[in-house]
Amino acid sequence: MATRIKDVQTNVEDLVKAREARAPSRQPLAVPIDQPVTFPLELPESEARLRTPAVGQRATRPDGRLHGLGQTQYIDDITFPHMLHAKILRSEYAHARIVSIDTSEAEKMPGVIATLTGAEVPENSFGPTYQDQPILAYPIARHRGDGVAAVAATTEQFALDALEKIKVEYEPLPAVYDPLEALEEDSPKVHGDTNIYTSKVIKRGDVEAGLAASDHVFERRFSTQMVEHVPLEPHATIASWDGNGRVSIWSSLGRFTLGREDLARTLQMPQSRIRLIGTVVGGNFGGKNEITNEPIVALLSKKSRRPVKAIYSRGDEFVSSTIRHPFIMDYTTGVDSEGRILARKIRLVLDGGAYCSWTGTTIGKGSILAPGPYNIENVLVEAYAVYTNKTTTGAMRGFGAPQVCFAYESQMDDIADALGIDPLEIRLRNGFSENSLSPTGQSLQSVALKESLTQAADRFRWKEWQA
Amino acid sequence: MLVELTVNGESRSANVPPETTLLKMLREHLGLTGAKLGCDVGDCGTCTVIVDGVSVNSCLMLAGRADGCDVTTIEGLATADDLHPLQQKFEEHGALQCGFCGPGMLISAKNLLDNNPDPSVFEVRDALAGNLCRCTGYTKIIEAVIEAGEMMSQEPANV
Repeated sequence: MATRIKDVQTNVEDLVKAREARAPSRQPLAVPIDQPVTFPLELPESEARLRTPAVGQRATRPDGRLHGLGQTQYIDDITFPHMLHAKILRSEYAHARIVSIDTSEAEKMPGVIATLTGAEVPENSFGPTYQDQPILAYPIARHRGDGVAAVAATTEQFALDALEKIKVEYEPLPAVYDPLEALEEDSPKVHGDTNIYTSKVIKRGDVEAGLAASDHVFERRFSTQMVEHVPLEPHATIASWDGNGRVSIWSSLGRFTLGREDLARTLQMPQSRIRLIGTVVGGNFGGKNEITNEPIVALLSKKSRRPVKAIYSRGDEFVSSTIRHPFIMDYTTGVDSEGRILARKIRLVLDGGAYCSWTGTTIGKGSILAPGPYNIENVLVEAYAVYTNKTTTGAMRGFGAPQVCFAYESQMDDIADALGIDPLEIRLRNGFSENSLSPTGQSLQSVALKESLTQAADRFRWKEWQA
Repeated sequence: MLVELTVNGESRSANVPPETTLLKMLREHLGLTGAKLGCDVGDCGTCTVIVDGVSVNSCLMLAGRADGCDVTTIEGLATADDLHPLQQKFEEHGALQCGFCGPGMLISAKNLLDNNPDPSVFEVRDALAGNLCRCTGYTKIIEAVIEAGEMMSQEPANV
């Protein structure tokens, strides 16, 4: 805490200096030697930046003014006459067979115009890789975030009240929550006969021979947790099904063309009858890359013959929208006495949650990047994505890259520490340079890893910190 | 219930159900959609408005409690001719990306500068602690607030 306050006091002076330096000419700010400096650091422009004048220039966003005026229209800022509000009832169990759903009492509630269950969805499955995810779970709910029924009512409060009147009879099924347990043969199965739904192997050289030839072998398990994107704007949709049998959908979706395909599939109607309107998105970060409640809202609009709006609550957002894959990462790394990596063997287990979503991309990127940006002759990566009865994992900034980065960089520090080598030095010894081969054999161009590391270390005065 | 209040200098009123929050009244009954619903539990600050000189999470305040109060929303910052210095500086600095946190962020910043025209970085951070932004990392927001404060001190006519 003491450090933070000191940092802040320094920052005020820095800000002033930075401003003075910037206007009128972008003069570089001299870094004072006698006091710690944190942020924001103004430094001499690199030669490369000077060669490309657009880089480093301040640009204003074309939509910045309306954002600041509060006039940008996000979906929740749009209303239509006679518009209804939809809410979704979520499963009571992490894994259960739905025996029956009775919406009759809910339909008698004040303000309720329409209800929907999974059995009414024309094609109740979607997904960017495997179409294993239902719009509304039926007959099996595979995690607590699975929607089982939806209500459209004249106000949000009426819709919420009506959810409480929906009677769902469940037959609970055994559930699996731990990805390592899910790998076991006798574990409860989320879909089909095995929980492993995607795997990837990357091989280069002979990892066992490399480990045998190493002076030191380091083994450690690293794991990362679930992360929700938390866009400030929750998932939001408005749908209006018109009398001609066409549906207009206002959506905060990111991947539009894919979304339209999924809508055509789930609604079982040609894309030409689906008008998807992209609105300004209040934060995506990968969490709005596939449809969520769009077909539900569309079908509620069809049934009620009114425009229907659905905004996820923050709770819906956490339990029902996709999250980042938790990884369990076993790293075995062999090095010589100088800290050069001779072999690296990695097993990744991705906790996929209940449905596949963007796991294909995540396991691919995660596996390719798992050995790190280091020249290693002998590599073996084995990655498995497993279903568990938990929130679905999907796309999130970097698709698996941050998880493996945490593991390989932590292990680089372990190795440096054990061998008494400077953590920067061990990275420079092993790091990629021009024409290095990636673990998948790609020759890498424009590699500035070592230069970046050295410059960064100079700028934040790595050596002084070490002293 | 009838709620009468002053919003951005104008007398407004609406008949709202008693459970209506101030945010819902502003957005759905008065058509002022600048303040946003982000979390509905007072964590994210996208719903921030100024009520009688205090910045509040309008998703947590019942409309009835604001009866007779003076409310400032994001719609009340700019004049017909000019942006508020905060809006100008936020735009120049690219302090807003997706923009969803913007109205709340600007209102919290305005309330700070109204009371403290020359805040330190620490004070800016403190004043914006109740406003979450997922895009920017806050640096540009803080710079924009400091510069807007300077601008307002130099040109008091604009405030």
